[in-house]
Amino acid sequence: MSTKTAGKKKSVSFFRKIEPYFYLAPFAIGVLLFTLYPIVNVVLMSFKENYNFINQSYSGWGLGNYLYVLNDAYFIQAYKNTFMYVFVVIPISTCLSVLIATLLNQKIKFSGMFQTAYFLPMVTSTVAIGFAWRFMFSHRTGVINYLLSFLGVEAINWLQIPKYNFPALCIYGIWAILPFTIILLLSGLQNIDPMYYTAAKVDGAGPIKSFFRITLPLLAPTIFLVLIVNTISTFKVYNELFPLFQGPGIASNLFTVVYYIYYQFRIKTPMKYGYAAAAAVILFLTIFVFTMIQRFIEKKTKD
Amino acid sequence: MKITIDHLTKDFGSTIAVNDFSAVIESGELIALLGPSGCGKSTMLNMISGILPSSTGKIYFDEDDVTDVAPEKRGVGLVFQNYALYPHMTVLENIAFPLEIKKVKKEEREAKAKEMAKLVHVDMLLDRKPKQLSGGQQQRVAIARALIKNPRVLLLDEPLSNLDARLRIEMREEIRRIQQETQVTTIFVTHDQEEAMSISDHIVLMKDGFLQQVARPQELYDEPANCFVADFLGNPPINKTYGVVQNGAIVLDGGCVVELDAAKNLKEGHKVILSMRAESIVVDEGMKNAEGTVVETYVMGKEVLAYVSLGDYKVRAYIPAEKSFGKEQKVTVGLKKRGVFVFDAETGERLA
Repeated sequence: MSTKTAGKKKSVSFFRKIEPYFYLAPFAIGVLLFTLYPIVNVVLMSFKENYNFINQSYSGWGLGNYLYVLNDAYFIQAYKNTFMYVFVVIPISTCLSVLIATLLNQKIKFSGMFQTAYFLPMVTSTVAIGFAWRFMFSHRTGVINYLLSFLGVEAINWLQIPKYNFPALCIYGIWAILPFTIILLLSGLQNIDPMYYTAAKVDGAGPIKSFFRITLPLLAPTIFLVLIVNTISTFKVYNELFPLFQGPGIASNLFTVVYYIYYQFRIKTPMKYGYAAAAAVILFLTIFVFTMIQRFIEKKTKD
Repeated sequence: MKITIDHLTKDFGSTIAVNDFSAVIESGELIALLGPSGCGKSTMLNMISGILPSSTGKIYFDEDDVTDVAPEKRGVGLVFQNYALYPHMTVLENIAFPLEIKKVKKEEREAKAKEMAKLVHVDMLLDRKPKQLSGGQQQRVAIARALIKNPRVLLLDEPLSNLDARLRIEMREEIRRIQQETQVTTIFVTHDQEEAMSISDHIVLMKDGFLQQVARPQELYDEPANCFVADFLGNPPINKTYGVVQNGAIVLDGGCVVELDAAKNLKEGHKVILSMRAESIVVDEGMKNAEGTVVETYVMGKEVLAYVSLGDYKVRAYIPAEKSFGKEQKVTVGLKKRGVFVFDAETGERLA
């Protein structure tokens, strides 16, 4: 009798122990299958030389893919372009969105309308909007050149002349990144107790002083979040190339790292899985290092 | 600095928060702006600070009309209800912030901030962030920040409401001490009568946007201008009974006759409120103004709180602990001169 109850107890507690794993299973399996497995596979692939995806054959393990990629002029160009893109887009877009979010946070007339206008790009497909931008960048009839004509700038052939491709990409990239950034910053701004502004006003602080002394420091955590999220996403610039140029610039001058991966993986014949994987790992490490640096700076400024 | 408020009104459209308010606040005093929630006392404070513009009326600091002067130019120090200390700055930076805005040199403003910190006893916490401080310490820092620019008036909005009971008593004494040391005219808003009574020089009592009475705390307690003032002050609350003047006495609802010298001059048939403080009612001590019945008694230690029925009303009275009464015992009730008031039943105005 007593042994029976003991056995029962044991089985109950055993079930209790494993019960949580059943609940975790659906999500865990998803992550393992669709996130971890591909990552591990890509890393492994990057070390397999002459890998053939179809028959899974490879000549051996080694750093051959990396050596090839790091010496490939296209990759070097892609790496440079990507860095330039990040360093142009991130500072400009961050400053712009802080400015716009601050303005949107004011009690102004039609602020709801302005907010909607700024968030509209988020709910519209990148590609569709990209085509709209194609028209806007148009040499003869585009609205951008029209606006620039008021500043006395002569019509620029943004899309057809290679050296203007990069600025066009940046303008489009900055514009595309704004809405999400503004939403995040606006929510950060709305979390700042208006009491601080009243207190500062009574102490005689003007709008500029209270912006730099109160708004910015209190918004800093959100700004760091935005910086990290946006840096990661701009490093992966790729989508933006298609609507504007149907490829890496008008003269293969605008390779980006992700485009390079795509190029090795999809366009080149025979497909170079190994090169693509190696480029992907290099990009991953680059982003990783950058994110770590940002986290480090964030922690430093917090203390 | 003397503050003169002249027929000040704040109209929020649907509600009038402050209505035709006139008062004079003497220089160097500690003033409590007292009233129940929603009586317009915070609105009043915000108008004095300049955060809220007034609808009509004038505010004078000494002889200067400051009605349309911006808050930062009025020379007011403001302490917010939840202190509004800047979370990203240290205590020192917080206190020095008003001077930083005035572009005072760093060493100079930090020296001044340290001096202020010493005054409010937070000089050992200068490098802490507000989050690392207790409620009382935050309050002290907020006061120091408000005082650093030598304001002409210090305004505190419900300064003690966010503190626990023990700290509250400590901080109210601190506010008193700081005010005495600096001699700055100080106005603080509170809904707690005890707080107002214990530390202020004068109490400004408000209700529904109207000024009720300005008086010294004891005077407010002893000589209320109207029924609301009498009701609002005192613990336990004043005994409030309704009655009619008949033959120079007050007949309470339920037929109890209260003989009162003060009632002799009142008009026959006048509907009145007879308000009596618990400590002003004596039971079976030879003094006789009315007859009543002891309903219940509660032993409080040094004295006994008795409920005595007078007509339809049960009034609270303190009786000496050595006396004992049986239940339903008939007693004579005496009323002292002090703490017994007659008000008009309709207007609430004081009659006697």
